[in-house]
Amino acid sequence: MSDVLPDFKLLRPVTAGEAIAAFAGSKMPRYCAGGTDLMVNMRKGLVEVETLIDLTGLADMKRYDLDASGLYLGAGITLAQIAGDAALAKAYPAVVQAARTVAGPTHREAATVGGNLCLDTRCQYYNQSHWWRKSNAFCLKYKGNICHVAPTGNRCRAAFSGDLAPALMVHDAEIDILGPDGHRRLALADFYQEDGANPLLLKSAEIVMGIYLPATRAISAYEKIRIRGNMDFPLAGVAVACDKETAQSGQFKVAITGTNSCPVAVDMAAFDFETDTLDIYFEGFKKSVQKAVSPQRTTTTAAHYRRLSVAAMAARIARGLWES
Amino acid sequence: MSTYQPAIGQRVPLVDGIEKVTGKARYTADLGRDDCLVGRILRSPVSHGVIIRLDTTKAAALDGVIAIVTGADCSYTYGVIPIAMNEYPMARDKVRYRGEAVAAVAAVNERIAEQALELIELEIEELPACYSLKEAYAPDATLIHEGKARNIEREVHHDFGDVAAGFADAVLVAEETFTCAEINHAQMEPHAALAEYDAERQRLTLHSVTQVPFYVHLTLARCLDMDASRIRVIKPFVGGGFGARTEALNFEIITALLARAAGGKVMMQMSREESFITHRGRPETEVYVKIGLGETGRITAVECAVRQRGGAYAGYGLVTILYAGALLHGLYDIANVKYDGYRLYTNLPPCGAMRGHGTVDVRHAFEALLDRMARQLDLDPFAVRRANMLSAPTRTPNDLMVNSYGLPECLQKVEAASGWKDRFGKLPAGRGLGMACSHYVSGAAKPVHWTGEPHAVVSLKLDFDGGITAFTGASDIGQGSTTMVAMAAAEVLGVHLSRIQVVTNDSAITPKDNGSYSSRVTFMVGNAAVEAARNLRALLVAAAAKKLEANVDDIVCEGETFSVDGGEQSALSFSEVALIALAEDGTINVKGTFTCPPESQGGKHRGGAVGSTMGFSYAAQVVEVTVDEDTGLVSVEKVWAALDCGRALNPLAVEGQIEGSVWMGMGQALSEETHYVKGLPVHANFLDYRVPTIVESPDIEVFIVESHDPLGPFGAKEAGEGALSGCPPALAAAISDAIGINANFLPLTPDRIVEALTAKRRKERRAAQIKEAS
Repeated sequence: MSDVLPDFKLLRPVTAGEAIAAFAGSKMPRYCAGGTDLMVNMRKGLVEVETLIDLTGLADMKRYDLDASGLYLGAGITLAQIAGDAALAKAYPAVVQAARTVAGPTHREAATVGGNLCLDTRCQYYNQSHWWRKSNAFCLKYKGNICHVAPTGNRCRAAFSGDLAPALMVHDAEIDILGPDGHRRLALADFYQEDGANPLLLKSAEIVMGIYLPATRAISAYEKIRIRGNMDFPLAGVAVACDKETAQSGQFKVAITGTNSCPVAVDMAAFDFETDTLDIYFEGFKKSVQKAVSPQRTTTTAAHYRRLSVAAMAARIARGLWES
Repeated sequence: MSTYQPAIGQRVPLVDGIEKVTGKARYTADLGRDDCLVGRILRSPVSHGVIIRLDTTKAAALDGVIAIVTGADCSYTYGVIPIAMNEYPMARDKVRYRGEAVAAVAAVNERIAEQALELIELEIEELPACYSLKEAYAPDATLIHEGKARNIEREVHHDFGDVAAGFADAVLVAEETFTCAEINHAQMEPHAALAEYDAERQRLTLHSVTQVPFYVHLTLARCLDMDASRIRVIKPFVGGGFGARTEALNFEIITALLARAAGGKVMMQMSREESFITHRGRPETEVYVKIGLGETGRITAVECAVRQRGGAYAGYGLVTILYAGALLHGLYDIANVKYDGYRLYTNLPPCGAMRGHGTVDVRHAFEALLDRMARQLDLDPFAVRRANMLSAPTRTPNDLMVNSYGLPECLQKVEAASGWKDRFGKLPAGRGLGMACSHYVSGAAKPVHWTGEPHAVVSLKLDFDGGITAFTGASDIGQGSTTMVAMAAAEVLGVHLSRIQVVTNDSAITPKDNGSYSSRVTFMVGNAAVEAARNLRALLVAAAAKKLEANVDDIVCEGETFSVDGGEQSALSFSEVALIALAEDGTINVKGTFTCPPESQGGKHRGGAVGSTMGFSYAAQVVEVTVDEDTGLVSVEKVWAALDCGRALNPLAVEGQIEGSVWMGMGQALSEETHYVKGLPVHANFLDYRVPTIVESPDIEVFIVESHDPLGPFGAKEAGEGALSGCPPALAAAISDAIGINANFLPLTPDRIVEALTAKRRKERRAAQIKEAS
């Protein structure tokens, strides 16, 4: 329970190629960027590392292009940079709003886009000291055989808690991944799976290099439910993008974090100008969000509350965007 | 000379503040990092059980392990209350909570110490555990301590006046039961201790984070079976206490045991989790309260029953459960009060003293119910309070002494500043105002360890350099007691504050002090400092009189100048007088003492000493909130807080204390609580234990009310606790005003608020249906 950092070797490559080669050639390697999540977990004995590969020297990961065709956001860009970017706030408001809600100002100076996308899932039975977890027979996510959140189930329910992912998803983000076999690009939603123990579909030695966002005329917003207006991970967070001028489907894009083991995109029916009133539509909107998420006992705050409040918040944001 | 200003009443930054803000201050964990062994504690993995086997052989064989101690190395119990010591530094036969210390290791570095803990073989036969009040109180519950039926550690029954007659006189009688969650002090500095044992001379030196070095000293002597004269206890800078450190704690004893076993120096630094497990926080408390009100809001009778979930050991529990009842008195004029208190054992970390010790949860319940009753009678909440004012000097039915009472002025200040009369009940939906009152003791008039000694001693030294050094054992834990001692002495001596240095908390150097608890220091140590300064002043005046060939009664001493009736031509400087005085006998040492008089020490009834004090601080506050009905999130928009502290010796420090009290009360009201999963603390970090951040901190407008207590130093009373317990009920009342829910729980977290709102809407729908049907 001491929070002593274990011994490890630190490598500082300056190109992605070097980083991938270093990964392949090392025993128990891990990539590290800002370290705000990883270092805490290492101190708690949740991560076994012999070689830590520091990615902050990779110039390619700091690429930032915002133009008429869209956005490329390097994975090494810090959340503080995003939070203070006025052009980005205009083009993709939800992304900037999400970055501003992550942890506290000092974390955001170090924490990166890639790190937030690859944030380890969280659970009250997992984010504890070695003594604590050992006294509780460990858990399915790490060293144990049972999920204490859902003991009859066979998968880990730890909650994905990154704020950026849903904000990027509602803007149709694609993720740029580089590995030993070269680049691959996939929809950000497909980068995740509903398994708290293995939420990322990342292959060995692969590095998240950055994010593509297409140009959009949609307006967007992100808010998170948390007890304190600072530091807290989302009990639930919701991003909404709204494009009133689009065809019937895809008027609203909604993505939720904090409720499941991966960020959840919610299919939302379009507003029917013929039959819907705003009150009826947004009541249905709320119900759709409630149905789409499945918060579990991963935090000390009641799961039921997280479902209700994130749905209410989603509908409120959506209506605000619609009426703006 | 012209720049001289009397010290008292000045806004003085704390004299030890520069070290803190520049990072120069050395806290316990900063000391001796390079030449120490590292201590680590093995903790019980189970909540309740019998230790079958504890084998340290493999750990002892590990290279780099220097010493291992277990429960077998200390057969003495310890505890802050002499009649309730039932805890061993390390468990001997049984473990009673998850995280209880079982053994400890001293090794050459942290990793080896950790490895050694893993090699200790511990076998425990588990027993059923009780975590809740209900489980502990069940007729068939497993007993955590022998002979304590239904796990009752202590019960208290007090009945003053004629409660039945009082209720009969009421026009409205109401009752409610409130549940307030367990909370922790969450002081910024985690626990740490540094112990050095000199094997040649058989002497022990301990540095620790304590608020009560004297109790730690006594406890070390007892548990290590050493003569107290061979022990030296030093308290360096401390990063907050709030009651967490008002008793000797197991890690202090364990570190000392390890140092002795190793024959060297051991540093024990606790993780945040271990600091939480050491606990001693405010217990989860269930408060039943029944109040009778007359037509004008006059309180005719009060009945209160309290059950506290005390944790696995006695600790301060006896005092906590007594305070909970005693401080039903002293705030308002109430003739008829019945109190029944029960503190129960549970298989959880032991609770203890925390800022507002014993009174906060009961005050919350009381004020919250009073607020609802005011609404029922269509009376203004301020009017109800004003109908129940005390008139000082007086004694309460439980024989507490009240010599000064500034509550009426506190009420007036916050009522006016908040615009209450124009705004209460008229704010838009989702926004509300609430108010409440509170009070706290200025020190327990009867000390825990009753030895007959004075309650406080301060000594002063004047030497060749003209400098005055004050020596005090009062523990500055951030509240400003060191500054207060310097100011008190400077005021009496008529010298610049900078002429005085204060040396604190080294048992080899400074006089014994009972410690920083129950807000005793300003009143008691302040009075001792005043007396010491008067004694020194008398010597200096005599020296000046001799030199000036004048009568001592004609000597005026002010602004570092001694003169005959203020005449400038005859004036002597302070340095001149000091040299004249020193020429007589050399270095001057004087002391002052203070003892609470017998009439302040409480009633003759059993437990009557708890709650007894030289004087109470009084507070009134108004809180304004907005509530988001979708998410249940509460924003505190503004707080107006007035505190009667007798006299503000240092208004800057008093304001800080009031703001801190309000802020801590707000944390308990909105977000702070412990959570255990079968005895394992889920909350034991600063993410899951939700202390408010600066983002949640409201604008707090502070008003200082000065009632000039006749016995306080310069009229002062306590300032650090009184405003805390009014905050949760004022906040709850504001939420009630905003969204119409009457919540019987703390903290008012958003999930609970949404649940209460859902229940309210359901009830309203049903009522509407019934109305429609009829």
